[in-house]
Amino acid sequence: MAEPATDLTPLEDNAALLAAEEHEVQIVGRSPTYLAWRRLRRNYVALFSLGVFLLIVIACCLAPVYARHIAHTGPNTIHSSEQVRVSGKLRQVVGGGSYYDAKTNTFVVRAVSVLGPTWWHAHGRFVLGADSLGRDVAVRMLYGGLNSLKVGIGSAFICSFFAIVLALIAGYSRGWPDWIISRFFDLIWAFPVLLLAIAIGSALQVNGFHHFGINIEPGSIWIPLLVISYVLIPYIGRPLRGQILSLREKEFIEASVGQGASPLRIMFSDLLPNVASTALVFFTLIIASNILTEAGLSYLGAGVQPPEPSWGNLIADGQDHIRTAPWLAIIPGLAVVLTVLSMNIFGDGLRDALDPRAKVRVEH
Amino acid sequence: MTGKRRWTWLLGVLAMAAGFSMMVAAYSAAGTKHKTAATKPIGTLRAVIDTIDYLDPQQAYTGQSWWAMWNVYETLLTYRHVDGPGGYKLVPGLAQSLPTVSRNGKVYKFKLRKGLKYSNGAPVKASDFKWAIKRGFLAQGQGVGFYTDIAGAEAYSKNPTPGGNIPGIIVNNKKRTITIKLVSPRGDFLTILALLFAAPVPGSTGPEIQNGSIPGTGPYYFASYDPNRSFVMVRNKYFKPNRFIPRGTPNRVEVSLIGDANTATQKVSSGQADYSNGAIPPDRIADAKSKGHLVLRQTANTYYFWMNIREAPFNKLKVRQAVNMAINRKSMQTLVWGGLGQSTQNVLPPTYPSYKKLNLYPYNLAKAKQLINQAGAKGAAVKVWTRQVSDAVTAATYYQSVLNAIGLNATLTILPRATYYTTIGNVNTHAQTGWARWLEDYPHPLDWFDVLLNGERITDQDNNNYAWYTNKKTNKEIDQLKKAPVLTPSVNKRWAAVEKQIMQQAPWAPWSNRVFPEYFTKQIGCIHIQRLYGIDLARLCRK
Repeated sequence: MAEPATDLTPLEDNAALLAAEEHEVQIVGRSPTYLAWRRLRRNYVALFSLGVFLLIVIACCLAPVYARHIAHTGPNTIHSSEQVRVSGKLRQVVGGGSYYDAKTNTFVVRAVSVLGPTWWHAHGRFVLGADSLGRDVAVRMLYGGLNSLKVGIGSAFICSFFAIVLALIAGYSRGWPDWIISRFFDLIWAFPVLLLAIAIGSALQVNGFHHFGINIEPGSIWIPLLVISYVLIPYIGRPLRGQILSLREKEFIEASVGQGASPLRIMFSDLLPNVASTALVFFTLIIASNILTEAGLSYLGAGVQPPEPSWGNLIADGQDHIRTAPWLAIIPGLAVVLTVLSMNIFGDGLRDALDPRAKVRVEH
Repeated sequence: MTGKRRWTWLLGVLAMAAGFSMMVAAYSAAGTKHKTAATKPIGTLRAVIDTIDYLDPQQAYTGQSWWAMWNVYETLLTYRHVDGPGGYKLVPGLAQSLPTVSRNGKVYKFKLRKGLKYSNGAPVKASDFKWAIKRGFLAQGQGVGFYTDIAGAEAYSKNPTPGGNIPGIIVNNKKRTITIKLVSPRGDFLTILALLFAAPVPGSTGPEIQNGSIPGTGPYYFASYDPNRSFVMVRNKYFKPNRFIPRGTPNRVEVSLIGDANTATQKVSSGQADYSNGAIPPDRIADAKSKGHLVLRQTANTYYFWMNIREAPFNKLKVRQAVNMAINRKSMQTLVWGGLGQSTQNVLPPTYPSYKKLNLYPYNLAKAKQLINQAGAKGAAVKVWTRQVSDAVTAATYYQSVLNAIGLNATLTILPRATYYTTIGNVNTHAQTGWARWLEDYPHPLDWFDVLLNGERITDQDNNNYAWYTNKKTNKEIDQLKKAPVLTPSVNKRWAAVEKQIMQQAPWAPWSNRVFPEYFTKQIGCIHIQRLYGIDLARLCRK
């Protein structure tokens, strides 16, 4: 049987086919967030890094549980004169050392021996060994991590918040507010970050901060946290301001202005969502940068104050024993490297996912 | 005997005598050679020391600076270059002899040695001594407080000018005489004159700080100084040795300033330096001993925790006693310096004749807690002050844990090394308790009790009495003893009683008399320790 004749031209036939296809497979609109997530979930290295970072965070958050129920000690408790049973044998936490022999009226010179890692052979006590004062290194490592993360993440929040607000004001208002805020950014930018942080941190460590109704005692963890927040503001604020300045000239902002929207509404409803992805990437990258700055500050004695541990001051303490007990410096060093690396890789992945063309980088 | 035989006999005797002489000569030559091999002079000594403050005699006030400057700037009186207690004996330095002292103990007369010259060839004048004292006041040197008992010095200190006069110092350059008149007698005045603050400097030296550029009068002079890095000492060709001050053995001393204990130790272990007087990390002491030559130097020092008796909770005697009882002094020696220290409860170190061992507060943690409860101080907030130096932080960390263990609520405040003493010595800081140490300036109990614990010497700024301790009875006794010219057994007994009186009030918790390890390469010999200044670099030699 012959095929029925049709009066449709080939072109009309294709259009009909396409229309039919379109009717069957509906094209769904994708949100930028979804697209970013789709790109991010294909970046296994970034996801793995996020996993590592979260593991570190969880481990550090569990420090009080570990200290109380496994190690049975606090981060600053000194056990120098105690003995610990390791694989059934009693071992002195801090032993040896020189002593004065009254009979011969001389000193007998001997090395001090400090308990090394017990690797779970002491029922969870001194898993990573003891330091020169007989404190549990594993407990101090976890508490140190907790302090480092508190400073790193806390300062990233504060720093990002002020940087975004200042950038919005400067970028939207232009004129003299922009001039003042830009000069403020320039002023901080002009100093090397670590040097400025050391100067402010050291000054505050003497008498604390007691102005404007704020009372921060010397030795408080708030000192490094606020110092780092302050010195890094322009590193987020300046690029964001530039982006907002360019957005300010776009039609949608002019439309909002034309419709009589208030400046606050334009800043937070129109401009902020458009720089949110950049700010988010900056936030993740600045966490890594802040953890590194905190480690540097504490290493130099201007950050978290002893006896409170932080990875930076644990490295500094361990450095004195690098030849005889290298783990004291190596373990916190590795923790810093791992945390910063994982956060940086994830930050890069997030940047690629949110805006593959963006060139967001924290440089100082 | 025929003539021929006689000659043969004579020649034989002569030959034997010559042979014997040659044998003796050879033997002595061999002995000399052997002796020379044992004590080869050092061409260049490479030393590593901890950081210094100044290389200016009127300014320097650290043991490291004094170690070097003792062989550069001579004073009217000095200490013998000998080991042991003999090193505390005062001997004439630039002075021809010990001074004549008036009966009332107020007038001292000196005469300078003849032909004294500075390292630049200029003659040493009697007026240079007066200028040195004036210069100290002009530049507000750290040691001027020692010289305010000189007649007119107190008035001069209020308005010091280069042209001003201290009438209590009378000099005659022609006769080379120096007469010093005091306002009141002072038993330790000769030792004060032996301090480097009183070292004469040329009259042309400006009052401003001059590190290493002031010509010396000792066996060496400073050839160069690179701040915070190094300095070089070179033999002074104008120096004439005498029986008390030897000519230095090394021709040149190159000193590196390294604050980090590990680096300093490594320098000697690896042979990059001949000697280090920096601290050795406790866990490296045994290693250092095997690789080099470790010498332990016992100096007069006391490490202590002070408790400000004006500030709560330390205004209560029971709290101060509790703290003294809670410190495990023996354990602290191991934790802080690997055992190289002796536990103490005394203010004075055991090297003093006035020392009488105290044991008022045996270690008893339970009793300490009980005392804190009785004083109603449980949970009291306490800020422990210390300086940013490894051993001080370790000691203060331990101290903080002890305070917490007895029921106080202690936190730690760490200050930079440079500002620590000025901060805690300021009345407005209201510092409660903290770490401190005292190394003797001169061997006399006054250097301890008068400077550190005499309530009449408390000042609002730069106060050395960190415990703000004052007691009328003690103050009066210290002032009485100040007048005693000689440390007789009865005077020493009175000093011991003062010490006991003070420690019963427990303004301090002394915990250690430290022993300093001095680290040499195995090639360095002739190691002598001067009680006051440490390793005598002038006598070191190469094995």
